[in-house]
Amino acid sequence: MGSPNTDNESKKKESTEEASIDALKHLLFQPESDRLAMLENRLDDPMTRANEISRSLPEAVSLSVMEGDRLTRVIQPVIDDSLKESVRKNPKALADAIFPALGPGIRKAITATIMGMIQSLNQVLNHSFSIQGIKWRLEALRTGRQFAEVVMLNTLVYQVEQIFLVHGDTGIVLEHVVAEGAMIQDPDLVSGMLTAIQDFVRDSFSTDGESESDGDLDTLRIGSNRSVWVEKGEHAFLAAVIRGNPPMELRTFYREIIEDLHLKAGSALAAFDGNTQPFALFRETLNSGLRFKEREDSQQISPVVWLIVALMVAAAVALPAYWGYRVNQASQEWKGRLEKIRDQKGVLVVSVERDDGVYRLNGLKDPLVEDPLTVLASENRSDIRARWQPFYSLDPAFVFQRAQTLLNPPPGVTLSLDRNTLIAKGKADQAWIDTFDIRATAIPGIDAANGDTLVNTDRIALSTAVNTLTALKIYFENNSTELIPGQTQKLSRLIETIRDVNRLMVILNLSVQITIVGHTDSSGTEKYNMKLSRERAETIYAFVKSRSMSYGFINTLGVGTQVRLKEETREEDRQFNRAVSFRANVLSANQGTPLNRRALQDPHPKPDGS
Amino acid sequence: MTKKKICLLGAFAVGKTSLVQQYVNSIFSDKYHTTVGVKIEKTSVDVDGEAVDLIIWDLHGEDDFQHVRLSYLKGSAGLIFVADGTRHSTLATALNLRQIAESSMGSLPFMLLVNKADLADQWEIDDEVMEDLRGQGISVIPTSAKTGQSVEWAFEELARKMVGK
Repeated sequence: MGSPNTDNESKKKESTEEASIDALKHLLFQPESDRLAMLENRLDDPMTRANEISRSLPEAVSLSVMEGDRLTRVIQPVIDDSLKESVRKNPKALADAIFPALGPGIRKAITATIMGMIQSLNQVLNHSFSIQGIKWRLEALRTGRQFAEVVMLNTLVYQVEQIFLVHGDTGIVLEHVVAEGAMIQDPDLVSGMLTAIQDFVRDSFSTDGESESDGDLDTLRIGSNRSVWVEKGEHAFLAAVIRGNPPMELRTFYREIIEDLHLKAGSALAAFDGNTQPFALFRETLNSGLRFKEREDSQQISPVVWLIVALMVAAAVALPAYWGYRVNQASQEWKGRLEKIRDQKGVLVVSVERDDGVYRLNGLKDPLVEDPLTVLASENRSDIRARWQPFYSLDPAFVFQRAQTLLNPPPGVTLSLDRNTLIAKGKADQAWIDTFDIRATAIPGIDAANGDTLVNTDRIALSTAVNTLTALKIYFENNSTELIPGQTQKLSRLIETIRDVNRLMVILNLSVQITIVGHTDSSGTEKYNMKLSRERAETIYAFVKSRSMSYGFINTLGVGTQVRLKEETREEDRQFNRAVSFRANVLSANQGTPLNRRALQDPHPKPDGS
Repeated sequence: MTKKKICLLGAFAVGKTSLVQQYVNSIFSDKYHTTVGVKIEKTSVDVDGEAVDLIIWDLHGEDDFQHVRLSYLKGSAGLIFVADGTRHSTLATALNLRQIAESSMGSLPFMLLVNKADLADQWEIDDEVMEDLRGQGISVIPTSAKTGQSVEWAFEELARKMVGK
């Protein structure tokens, strides 16, 4: 390294060689040492450094801004303090500075607000008296917002269809974004024309007193539903084509985009030469401005719909309950009906099916039961279809009723049932008694028939007839076979009685032997009297034979005076013996012996006559 | 992508619009000329392999220079002046317009098109005048809206000048 000390020492040695080395060193290192001296000077001299920093400060700040907001944060307190200090010391300076911006700014804000209010007025009127309106009024009360604001918030429906970022002077599109589905024209032509129109408007309508920005076109209205919002910056403007009613916050957002653009690319905008490449960076930001808000009508369910839904839900809950109640009720009702059917004697329900609203019954029914369903009122039978198979119920009532029906006892007979024995009491003719004997035990449920105490009316009749006959005497003239007069009735009774006996013996299956016995008085000879008595008996027999269809069971006998009808103590007594009498013997048809089964109820049964 | 704004100026009825019509895209009707005073058109030219979009502001022809909206010239990268070869006065108008533009915009690349070359026998502007202008460094190009002569070339030439600047 070439320092002055080294040079001095070298000179002292006066060595040509060393001098040469020094010269070489000088040649080699002098420029370096000069630069070092200069650097030292630059670092040590504050003025020089300030000079240099002042040149690189803008670039440094720019770089710092691009890297983030650190610088902003660092210098913010300094600027704040400076401002405060400045305002404290000289308020007028600041007031003067901001005054020109203040007036137009306030005017613009007021105008925008009034425009917004007018915009919403129609909607407010439209919705004031609807259900929706009432709902919004409640919302306004709840949230503390103004009604108009609530209406606007609820009705704002818009879509930003496209956004142009346009270079102000040239009208050239720096960037352009389009919402999906929006119809567009060539953006370059549109933005050019838009720029031209802005110029045209400004040139045509601005007055001299207004600042340039105050004369800008900031909103174009197309029809009632579309507008173009223009947010203007120093070198570029943003134009948003919006359908519907956008909220004012959106304008603020676009304002921020423009400001951001100028902050980040102000110099590029100022020096714009037609190259749009650098502005592609802002495409994302612009895309975020393609906002939309859908009408929430589809989500707002009308009260009527709510009512319907509520009713449906209520129905869904209540109907099954009601249905269940009804089913239960119906089930209870059916059980009651079925019980009534089942409770009947002589009815046996085997199965029940429910099919298509109809109850199908299968079962057994005693023939004595006319129709098991008749226990129910007719309106309760309509939904029942029954199939019954016949069966004999052994219920005593049915057994008894069946006996009653089948045996059909005559009025004088009463039937009773003792366990399985059918008892018949009273008076009956032989025919019924025979029926009883034969048929009673054939009735299901009857094992034995007891007719022992039955009075056989036919036997009584026979007995009566026999008694009548044996009591009958027919008288003759003295020593003659001629009847004494006045006995016509007796003869009629005779014939009638014989007919009865004949009839009854057939009914009772008995054999009756009737004997016509001839008598004489004691006058005359025995031999003559025997002959006369025989003739008298045959006279009656002939009469009976002539008048009666059946007479085979009748025979005659002459007893003369051997059997006296009356002792002849006086002359008048003789006439009683000039007569015929009758005898009757009742015999079993088969055995020829008297039949004692079932007493004839004759208090004076005749002993076998012979 | 490079886009350049150019303005098309000229006296009334010099045939500016019909001159460029077959080379440009436009979505606007001629009515804009008489209302807004400008109609935007667009064409794309190739400059040494690079596509340049020319956004053409077709200004309504004015014989009275006072009515030219200078604000429409703002931001232009180049200008095209059009004169009618059969009317000498239109050349004067074009040159006057050029002066107004220059005073307002500074020096910009420009072309001077002398239209209706197909009606050469009726021309009031002779070659001498044109040569004189060329001597002043002005690109003077005879064109014909009817035949399309030189129109495309004129756009390309202007684009080349603007990009090369």
